[in-house]
Amino acid sequence: MAEPLIVVSDLVKRYGPDTVLDRVSVTVATGQVMVVIGPSGSGKSTLLRCLARLEPIQGGRIYIGGALAAIGSEEPRGESDGTGTADLRHDVGMVFQSYNLFPHLSVLDNITLAPRRVLGMPWEEANALALDLLKRVGLEDKRDVYPARLSGGQQQRAAIARALAMRPRIMLFDEVTSALDPELVGEVLKTMRALAEQGMTMLVVTHEMGFARDVADEVIFMDRGAIVEHSSPDRIFDKPAEPRTRAFLERLLEREGGKRRSS
Amino acid sequence: MFKLDSILGYAPDYLAGVLLTIELGLVSTGLGVVLGLVLALARRSRFRVLSWPTYAYIEFFRTTPPLVQIVWLYYGLPLLFGFDLGAFGAAAVALGLNIAAFLGEIFRAGIAGVDRTQWQAARVLGLGYVDTLRFVILPQAIRNVLPPIGTTIIYLIKDTALASAIGAPELLRVGQLVSNETFRPAEALTIVAIAYFLLTYPVALGFTALERRLSVARA
Repeated sequence: MAEPLIVVSDLVKRYGPDTVLDRVSVTVATGQVMVVIGPSGSGKSTLLRCLARLEPIQGGRIYIGGALAAIGSEEPRGESDGTGTADLRHDVGMVFQSYNLFPHLSVLDNITLAPRRVLGMPWEEANALALDLLKRVGLEDKRDVYPARLSGGQQQRAAIARALAMRPRIMLFDEVTSALDPELVGEVLKTMRALAEQGMTMLVVTHEMGFARDVADEVIFMDRGAIVEHSSPDRIFDKPAEPRTRAFLERLLEREGGKRRSS
Repeated sequence: MFKLDSILGYAPDYLAGVLLTIELGLVSTGLGVVLGLVLALARRSRFRVLSWPTYAYIEFFRTTPPLVQIVWLYYGLPLLFGFDLGAFGAAAVALGLNIAAFLGEIFRAGIAGVDRTQWQAARVLGLGYVDTLRFVILPQAIRNVLPPIGTTIIYLIKDTALASAIGAPELLRVGQLVSNETFRPAEALTIVAIAYFLLTYPVALGFTALERRLSVARA
């Protein structure tokens, strides 16, 4: 296994009295694609949000590229833990279910804003970078368009380009196809597939089991704030070891079957 | 008989009054916008030391008459602190402090109206608080509240007339003086009304145009 890029150890996340993540530990190696599946409320999106440092954590530690990225507020601090985390933030790119493009900026400006302001990249260089990324996601003709004029699939691809512009070492995908019309899901998955093939380290929360099976190196199944099963995609889909994993996959298949019959 | 010819000779005085009204309007709007933004951000703060004084400030200035605020600054500051702003200064500062309370609440509403996920998207891109506000949140927030901002500024332009109470030779004060000299109050103040209309209507048009331009940009 390649060197670990993300190490999560004993992560605890609570909202008030509710424990959303209960001592979660997971390691993602450089270049690995890890898919997270599980029922809603299982904590899988929260795990991603903690990694993106959108949520303060109460317990455990998160290391990114060997450096401490976050530490639980209830952890005793050791001397080796250090303090600075801000400079690490753009190591992690995140794409959201609802795209969250900036509606008042053109596609190009959406992509160049952070490289210009955070990395201090000059305009011409940022624009060239953005055009290159738009080509990669198949939106080179949309550079001057505002997000509202794009389809959901196009918006999501633009959001992926925006995240890539910060040259992150890890990309987090939080149910990025869940809000899309079915016919637009494919184009976004294709973009993600290409990214995986180029060796991007990815952590993907999704209900697209076909994608998980084809692209994932490892799959984790989460339920009620804990990792229940962690295995290869073939194992987890064909011979899940845990009854809860089996029950979840069966429910999902039933729903898929129902969808197919009704369409 | 409505006779304007007796008034026409005062055109230069009116012009001087208009210029002072514009100056008052610009200075107090500038002060109000900057301070209003600070108030809006402080009021949103989760730190009580910031949000509580802001709340008190806003309620104080919203609930007392602007005329009294002007008089306080003009007569009160020299009495209490030996510090004299002069008529123009006292009026400009008082009106600026006053409008800041209203603009602060409008800005706060605008910022609250921007989806929370926009902050998150900016955050995962590594943008800091100031950059996020400046490039992501405020452009959307301001666009959403342009109509009440326009209304507030138009109110302010008309409220500069209150400076006449402490003798600042702005537009209304000029009208009063002309009225005293000519004994033609109706004519003298009609000119004043037309002048205020000519000052405020372009502002109204400007805000409508701005609103349209920004909404086109979004579609």
